[in-house]
Amino acid sequence: MKKKLLIVPSILFLSILLVFFYLLLIDRNPSEIPSALLGKNVPKFETDSLLKDEKFISYEKFKNEIILVNFFATWCKPCRDEHVYIKRFSDKKKVKIIGINYKDNPKKAINWLKKLGNPYTDIALDKNGKIAIDWGVYGIPETFLVSSNGIIKYRHVGPITKKIYNEINLLINKTN
Amino acid sequence: MLQNLNLTKIFAIMLTISFSFFFSNCSYSVEPDEILQDKKQESRAREISKNIRCMVCQNQSIDDSNAPLAKDLRVLIRNKIKEGNKDEEIYNFLTERYGDFILLKPPFKLITIALWCLPFIFFIIGIFILFFHNKKSKKTFKDI
Repeated sequence: MKKKLLIVPSILFLSILLVFFYLLLIDRNPSEIPSALLGKNVPKFETDSLLKDEKFISYEKFKNEIILVNFFATWCKPCRDEHVYIKRFSDKKKVKIIGINYKDNPKKAINWLKKLGNPYTDIALDKNGKIAIDWGVYGIPETFLVSSNGIIKYRHVGPITKKIYNEINLLINKTN
Repeated sequence: MLQNLNLTKIFAIMLTISFSFFFSNCSYSVEPDEILQDKKQESRAREISKNIRCMVCQNQSIDDSNAPLAKDLRVLIRNKIKEGNKDEEIYNFLTERYGDFILLKPPFKLITIALWCLPFIFFIIGIFILFFHNKKSKKTFKDI
C-alpha cells in the first residue's frame, strides 16, 4: 500500500511535465492576448477622414458590409511589410477595408499610400490614439474582421503573414 | 583583525547594493506634466496605475512602464478621475476594452477559482501530510 502511494507523486510530476512540453511544442504566441471585444459591437467613434473632405462617422461605415479594419502608421515597419496582403484583400469583392491611421502625420500617410498603393476605401485619423484604446489595441499593426451587422469576429495583433492571410480569407468566406 | 575589517567592508558593500536595489524599485515613469494638482486625485491615479498592466511590456504596470501606450492610459485614468469617475468605473472601462488581462491581479471569477483556491488546498494537504508523517515516524522511533 505504501509503495503504491509513492507512485502518485511521480505520476503527478510526469503529467505536469507533459503539460509543459505540450505548451512548449504547440505553435502559439504567449504574448498574444484574446480580444475582449470579440462578439461585441464595433466601438462608436467620430473623427476626420484622411482621404475625403468629410467626417468619419463609425456607425455610418460599419453596416451592410463585411469590413476589415487595419490600424497602421507610416512609422511602423511591420505595417509596410503587411501592406502587400492588405492590397490583396482589396481585390476581393466581399470585403471592404477601412484603415485607421494611428498617431501619424497625415501628409506622410498620404505620400506613403501614393508610393505603396492604397487598398483602403476610407481612412479614419486617430491622432492621439484614443480610438485605438476603444478597440483594445496595444501594438500596431492590428487587424479586425467585422461582420455586416457590425460585430467584431476576429482580431490579429502584428503584421499579416501568409498564414494569417489564409486564415482571414477562410473567415471572410464564412462570415456574413 | 585584518580579516574582520574585510568582512565589515564586504558587509557594507552588500548593504549599499541591496539598499540601492530597494530604492531603485521606487522609481516611477510618471512624467511631471502628467501629475495632477490635487494630491488626493493624484494618489488615486497612482494606486489605479499600479494595478493596471502595461499591455506592451506585459510584466510591468503602467505606473512603471515608459511605453507610449502606458503614458496614454495614465493620462486617460487621470482625465477620468478629473471628470469625477469612480475607481470601479475606470477599471470597468479598461477591462471592457482590454479584458481581465489588463488587471495585474486576476479577479475572483468562476474560471479563476482554481487559481485562487489551489494554493490553500495544497497548503492544507501539506499540513495533513506533515502531521501523519510525524505520527508515523514517532511510532517507529518508539519501536526502536
